[in-house]
Amino acid sequence: MSLDRNFPRAATSRRELLKAIGAASLLTTVGGCSLFASGPSAGRVVVIGGGFGGATAAKYLKLGNPNLDVTLVEPKKQFHTCPFSNLHLAGELPMSAIAHGYDELRTQFNVRVIHAQADDVDPVTHTVRLNNGSTLKYDKLVLSPGIEIRWNALEGYDQAAAQLAPHAWQAGDQTVLLRRQLEAMEDGGVFILSAPGNPFRCPPGPYERASLIAHYFAKHKPRSKVLILDAKDNFSKQGLFTQGWKELYGERIEWVGLSGDGKVARVDATKREVFTDFGTRHKAAVLNVVPPQKAGFIADRAGVTDASGWVPVNPRTFESTQVKDIHVVGDATVAAPMPKSGFSANTQAKVAAAAIVAELEGRPTPEPYFVNTCYSLLSPDYGISVAAVYRVKDGKLIAVKESDGVSSPKAGRDTRRLEADYTRGWYAAISQDIWGSKA
Amino acid sequence: MPKVIRTLTFGAVALLSVSAVASETASHAQTRLLAAACANCHGTDGKLGGAIPAIAGRPASVLERQLLAFKQGQVPGATIMDRISRGYSDEELRQLAQHFSRITR
Repeated sequence: MSLDRNFPRAATSRRELLKAIGAASLLTTVGGCSLFASGPSAGRVVVIGGGFGGATAAKYLKLGNPNLDVTLVEPKKQFHTCPFSNLHLAGELPMSAIAHGYDELRTQFNVRVIHAQADDVDPVTHTVRLNNGSTLKYDKLVLSPGIEIRWNALEGYDQAAAQLAPHAWQAGDQTVLLRRQLEAMEDGGVFILSAPGNPFRCPPGPYERASLIAHYFAKHKPRSKVLILDAKDNFSKQGLFTQGWKELYGERIEWVGLSGDGKVARVDATKREVFTDFGTRHKAAVLNVVPPQKAGFIADRAGVTDASGWVPVNPRTFESTQVKDIHVVGDATVAAPMPKSGFSANTQAKVAAAAIVAELEGRPTPEPYFVNTCYSLLSPDYGISVAAVYRVKDGKLIAVKESDGVSSPKAGRDTRRLEADYTRGWYAAISQDIWGSKA
Repeated sequence: MPKVIRTLTFGAVALLSVSAVASETASHAQTRLLAAACANCHGTDGKLGGAIPAIAGRPASVLERQLLAFKQGQVPGATIMDRISRGYSDEELRQLAQHFSRITR
């Protein structure tokens, strides 16, 4: 399918214009120049990170101006999404269903994809150093580094501990490990999930995970239980989760919040034990620690993080407030009230891409619009959602009040089933929008 | 060769009216950014169908009426589109309806 067909006439005419200019400049260039190679005027953009934010940015930069020279740096050839990884933990989906690649970006959008790790950024010379020895020069840099675990921020929880008590908060090997432990667990055991304080990746994620593991237990290990130990007293969609848990799982899921001594202070991964702030010991058959987090490490190297470990940005463009020409999107950013979600990262990346295209063409950046919907599955046919539209007012990111809300607590099972269908529809659509694959 | 000449002629003509094109591009870039968030559930350019319906290529009047009905709470059994549509002005919803109606599915 040709790119031109994706857009109505006005965009096509601009693209034709750019193509014509490109063709004209070819005549003054000695051969060997591909039609897709951009002239120096169009601009070089390097994107680091091929997840929800980065892969979206790469595609929408090319949709905005196909003559940009866009390079995507991502170590993995296959990216596993955190969204829907809880369905793998529940035995409902194979890992292949949450794996995405970069073929469409490479072949249809002419993004140069480099499978390497970005080791350093020099904002002065506008260069990125890769672990394969090469250096990339950029006019604009997009970082979508996701999260990094704060090892040892929770006593006893380091890389070695994560091999015994997985976090599974970055999808891939950790997800597979946790699933194997759940499968191997004897019936009658307790699955403990330690949930962190705010802010963290995917606010409703721990509670969806607890739900879907309870679903797996109900089907396959009926004497087993789920215990959530939480460092907070409130969590995303709490009313709907609590109501749904009662409806679907009775007493199978127990949640203990901060004021009930739910905050885990120390982990003994070898014994699969946790100790709370007040010294209560809990023993798990399978222990899942969702640990404290910060922005992915390349953000630190680029000098865009602040004392919180996250990245402050100008919400109009998602450019770093600390370093010029570096735009940061997704979980790494300070973008409250937007949650750290794949959906947020996707709309932030579109705003950043549009701003970069405009700036490199010498136009004013467009007015930004953001949307987020977090769907959660309490079982494969029971879905709930929280949604909002976000805008920038007086330099601040705000949720449009009228749009901000959760599924109706009064909705019946038909609506919950419909929202579960829409959850799957959303996953198929966002996967297509980012990687071109319908998982 | 004739193709190159045609392209060059087109390029020359287009360059003459470059300022007109630039302003059209700016307003179009604005609409595309407004519409880009819809792709999250409806696929790139609103073309993906499934549990969630495709929106590309539907008549603007139908799309606009539906969006306004969502916004006014008049769609029975609505799940999230009632909330999402309240995030936009009627004029923005009209622009979205027009934008998606022009895309061939």
